[in-house]
Amino acid sequence: MTTAAELVGESVPGNRGIWVGIFCVLVEFLLLFCVYFIAKAHHPAAFERGPDQLATVAGVTITLLLLTSGYCMVKAVAAIRRDARRATLRWVLAALLLGLGYPCVKFFEIRWNVAHGIDGAAGIFYTVYYYLTLNHLVHVSWGLLGLAWVATRTALGVYSSRDYSGLEAAAMYWHSTDVLWLIIFPFFYVLR
Amino acid sequence: MNRLGHAEKIWLLLLALTLAGAWLAETGHAGWPLTFVVAGLIAFKGRLVIDHYMAITAAHPRIRRILHGFVTLVPLLVIFSHGWGDVLRRLTTLH
Repeated sequence: MTTAAELVGESVPGNRGIWVGIFCVLVEFLLLFCVYFIAKAHHPAAFERGPDQLATVAGVTITLLLLTSGYCMVKAVAAIRRDARRATLRWVLAALLLGLGYPCVKFFEIRWNVAHGIDGAAGIFYTVYYYLTLNHLVHVSWGLLGLAWVATRTALGVYSSRDYSGLEAAAMYWHSTDVLWLIIFPFFYVLR
Repeated sequence: MNRLGHAEKIWLLLLALTLAGAWLAETGHAGWPLTFVVAGLIAFKGRLVIDHYMAITAAHPRIRRILHGFVTLVPLLVIFSHGWGDVLRRLTTLH
């Protein structure tokens, strides 16, 4: 349902609370990105060599999982707007399952890293890499808990085309973690 | 056969850009071309997610401006840190 606020472009997708949270996360990561830029300025050689040692396939797989999971949440919001509750549940569950692939890939990536001598003390590039990527993983974990909560409430029939702000709020937070990963991925796997 | 919807097109475009990024990760060398391409990819992919996944074009202007500002500022910082790393190093040295 399109509200009057949406027609004049003044709607708040989800709810105000989630936007306070999203903006706090953006400020937090902006500061962490500054740590990355400052470390890179002081140790350019380490940041030029660093990406060569990381498993690019892990970073790419995480990106594909997050983008596809985000797509599923777009479809879930579209489905609940049509009151298609079973389809909504299917899309939310698909988003959750794909999102759970992220920590799984991260587990194997870290195991591979450690086997190749890349731990937090392997150099400044890897210290910043672990600091930023594990911080992102923590925020993704909150998002996964949110998706699980929303899936439960969808299964219970809580949402409808007239009230789906909780579902939309979870989708907004999930997409914001996408945006952050789209920045983090090139920082550590592509940029030199 | 159904034609692709808008969401599917955006999703496929994001996947294609990600694979282009993966190719860059394997073949790219440090320098201005890589820096500009990475900054452009961050800005473009960020805008795609914000405008089409989050459908932020219909949202309150303040939300829209902050999100757009975020994915504009970070690529500018990427370019700044590459071209003016010595300035950044001087500004952040504690002696």
